[in-house]
Amino acid sequence: MKLFQTIKLLLPALIPSWDFFESIAPSPRIQFSLLNSEKQTDKHWAEFRPRPQYVSLIKMLKRMLWNPWWNESLFLVSCAERIVGNSSPELILHSEQEIFKRIKNDLLQKHQSLTASHFQFRLVFVQRQGKELKEEVAFISRIQAVASEESQ
Amino acid sequence: MNLETAIRLTEILLGFAFIQQSIEHLTVFSNERRLFLARLILALLLIIGIQTAWINFLLLLLGLAILNVFQGPYNGGADRMSLLILSCLCLAHLAPTPHWQELAFGYLALQLILSYFISGWVKVVNPEWRNGQALRDVFQFSAYPVSESLRQLSQSPRLLLSMSWWVILFELLFPLALVSSTSLIVALIFAAMFHLSNAFLFGLNRFFWIWITAYPSIIWFQSRIFS
Repeated sequence: MKLFQTIKLLLPALIPSWDFFESIAPSPRIQFSLLNSEKQTDKHWAEFRPRPQYVSLIKMLKRMLWNPWWNESLFLVSCAERIVGNSSPELILHSEQEIFKRIKNDLLQKHQSLTASHFQFRLVFVQRQGKELKEEVAFISRIQAVASEESQ
Repeated sequence: MNLETAIRLTEILLGFAFIQQSIEHLTVFSNERRLFLARLILALLLIIGIQTAWINFLLLLLGLAILNVFQGPYNGGADRMSLLILSCLCLAHLAPTPHWQELAFGYLALQLILSYFISGWVKVVNPEWRNGQALRDVFQFSAYPVSESLRQLSQSPRLLLSMSWWVILFELLFPLALVSSTSLIVALIFAAMFHLSNAFLFGLNRFFWIWITAYPSIIWFQSRIFS
């Protein structure tokens, strides 16, 4: 089974489709909410890793060699697309876990005095309809304890 | 460039590309750190040139393990190109005769050509690419622009229309560069600049390094077929 799965993952690399940017699909944004309990109902959603207003040319040059934060963010975009795509329940669970793990890591690193006990994320997809940009909430995750081991 | 030199140069470039990728994973989670530390060490050995056939094989196995950990590529096309290069290198080392070795390495060159041509084809048949709307969408709402200020480019439709056509024409015409070694080198310089601009605008640094890694295969292929 594992071998079959590996071959299935490898095949697109051996016979690539090369259809980069064939069409511009709805684009995911990950938003998270910090909660004081599992039962909290009023939620404030914040964008996870909002992009900076401006990136200098020097920084772009440095990122040619060191760009882990952005590459991880692109991986999370793939995870978000897998969750709402036609994926198996196992893949959806895996993608949800990957997003949980990285949000939690950011929370623990950046918010030393974090008081929230739980958190949750949702996926908002942005797309153009005519000339307007529309946002649609496509997925709301389970609620996860900040201190849980599940997302490690 | 002869086949042996092209293969060796590909291995060295692949080693550097893997070191760059691996270092980015060393500061995060322990399961990733272990895998990418192993990849870093193997990449160093590949550059040094010790038992390269075995090192390529081990790197391929490690690549498959990484593919399983992330349940797919971590970095989309860049990871797929890495696995393609590794697979072709492994086959080239395993090949029983020079003829099969050429076929294995030639497949990499062919895929590199297709990577540009098919990308151009899927764009030119899409009306939204032809009228510049697709590139406007990329800047306006896709996840790729590295800063909010870059999103303002979506307000420059004429610029984006011309950029769209430059990209489409370059990608579609890329196979014609094979007619001479000079035209190929010029095309590869343009291609590298294209990847560099994608790295600057969209943060796709790994694409730049891994596509360049495949360039020796096409330089060898051109001289093998056309010289």
